[in-house]
Amino acid sequence: MDKGFKERVREQFSRTAEYYVRDEGFARGEDLSAAARCLNPTQDDILLDVATGGGHTALYFAPLVRNVVASDLTMQILKKAQEFISEEGGIENVTFREADAEDLPFPAGSFTLLTCRIAPHHFPDVKRSLREFFRVLRRGGRMAIIDSLLPDDPEIADFYHSMEKMRDPTHVRAYTRSEWITMIEEAGFINIHTKEFTKTHDFATWARRAGLDRQGVQQLNKFFIDASPKAHDHFEIETFAGEVESYTDKKLLICAHRPEKK
Amino acid sequence: MSIRPELLEILACPQCKGPVRCEPENARIVCDVCKLAYPIRDDIPVMLVDEAQTLSN
Repeated sequence: MDKGFKERVREQFSRTAEYYVRDEGFARGEDLSAAARCLNPTQDDILLDVATGGGHTALYFAPLVRNVVASDLTMQILKKAQEFISEEGGIENVTFREADAEDLPFPAGSFTLLTCRIAPHHFPDVKRSLREFFRVLRRGGRMAIIDSLLPDDPEIADFYHSMEKMRDPTHVRAYTRSEWITMIEEAGFINIHTKEFTKTHDFATWARRAGLDRQGVQQLNKFFIDASPKAHDHFEIETFAGEVESYTDKKLLICAHRPEKK
Repeated sequence: MSIRPELLEILACPQCKGPVRCEPENARIVCDVCKLAYPIRDDIPVMLVDEAQTLSN
């Protein structure tokens, strides 16, 4: 990963760690239960949660598996996640590692399950991360990735990337469903299944979570208001008295397996 | 500093992917091949090559 960019990611998430850990939208979600259905975790499983952020995915899976290793590039958010999981009580099988998703510090075949939720759009080299995910998964291991889904329409996709980058400069890019499938196949995975979810964002909460100041929120609000009718329709942008109240986008769950031994 | 042995087994050098050893007294994880020491902060190993200290012979 590019060193300067990596530093910016760490600054961004050190600054906003508390918002992410306390965010209700991350704590819940039908995407987590759908991921569990496709991973089918057991008490024999060892799960790696890459880019754990607020630790919500690690916490969700901890009671369902033997051990969880939660990794993230940012120490500050790992400490917050550690506090958060400790406050929940009764969870003693989660450990934390500061690590880069593109250079994972684990031997080959260390994990039987791998999750990565709402994070790959921050990775400069997703293909490299996927090769690392493949390497650290045991043969027959299962992976569930959840991330923002890039719309297929180029005009809508352009609006999407612009607004995400205005909100958070560490947003690299999201991918369409077909781009995800191609990348995951190229990394060597099989049995690829996908499922889409809609997510409605409270605009003010969403903007503040990324640490935008008042001026930044106003600029982003204007960018939404001025969006094309097509973008308004696609993202179901809701406004009141010139203020954006909410918008809705899609998340993609991708489940895949590392092939069994030959 | 506490790293359970079974979890140290699933830790490798992020650079060479080879085995590492724990030096609890120095609060660090060491890769003898790359001659890098990864610090442990607040019980969390910092397994980033950029944050590692180069070991002298």
